[in-house]
Amino acid sequence: MAIRDIAPWKWGRKGIPARREGEHPIYSLYRAMDQLFDQFFGDFERFPFGTSEGWTGPFSPQVNMAESDKDIRVTAELPGMDEKDIEISTSKDTLTIKGEKKEEREEEEKDYYYAERSFGAFRRVISLPCEVDTENVDASFKRGVLTVTLPKMTPAEAEAKKIPIKTD
Amino acid sequence: MTEKRKDIKVRKKEGLTTAMPERTRAKRTVTPRVDICESGSDMVVFADMPGVNEGSANITLDRGILTIEGFVEPDKLEGYDLAYAEYDVGDYYRVFTLSDAIDQDRIEASIKDGVLKLVLPKAEPAKARRIIVKAQ
Repeated sequence: MAIRDIAPWKWGRKGIPARREGEHPIYSLYRAMDQLFDQFFGDFERFPFGTSEGWTGPFSPQVNMAESDKDIRVTAELPGMDEKDIEISTSKDTLTIKGEKKEEREEEEKDYYYAERSFGAFRRVISLPCEVDTENVDASFKRGVLTVTLPKMTPAEAEAKKIPIKTD
Repeated sequence: MTEKRKDIKVRKKEGLTTAMPERTRAKRTVTPRVDICESGSDMVVFADMPGVNEGSANITLDRGILTIEGFVEPDKLEGYDLAYAEYDVGDYYRVFTLSDAIDQDRIEASIKDGVLKLVLPKAEPAKARRIIVKAQ
């Protein structure tokens, strides 16, 4: 449960966008406090002790989602991955990203002194705010960042079913 | 298309610099996650910096202080509203202090798919030298 759920002035907003440059510092402070609350009360199942700081468990990519009139753009940070290890699938209103982040294969044995990066198999299912055209989804992977562009389904294409009203 | 690992030149700074390296841009910075490991006769550092390639990474060495910087293009947001963000897009910045155990002239850096790999060879211990005494 996020602070959003009990603060009525937050209803109607879909989430907290990241900081934009040139933003007023007081507003940044307000949003930083908001994010602090969200982080603390947010992902209780994954981080029961209130923070993702120092979490070096299995790898789970972080995603950003941007929306325009025509499409939805989802970006995910997947550094060091090979695109053949990434699998993307869509349904009408969700996007699933799954794969495995492998360590760089080295011939010699390595002793780790300090490890912050995590590895492993992951699977993330992201709900999309509206229906998308699954035929025309575009995905590209560059410098460790995956960008998926999903065109929105226009109202004309979305199925609208007319329901007849029966009279007795 | 899979990227190949590309090399980056490590720059050595000489001359007057501030005690703590300062950034000259007022852009948001993110600390990249690193793994430090030892492999044979080298220390290897891996840093996750998605969005950075060999042209936008800057590694500088200044009297034992190693600075890793990665510049990232800001998200193109014209026409888009950011609906949901789990990570901040920003320049990567992290500083390490190296000891004499590392041979600072032979550091190698390379980057692939947003992962920076730094190879820091260990210095060879100084050999004992015999000093010849000349008669005056």
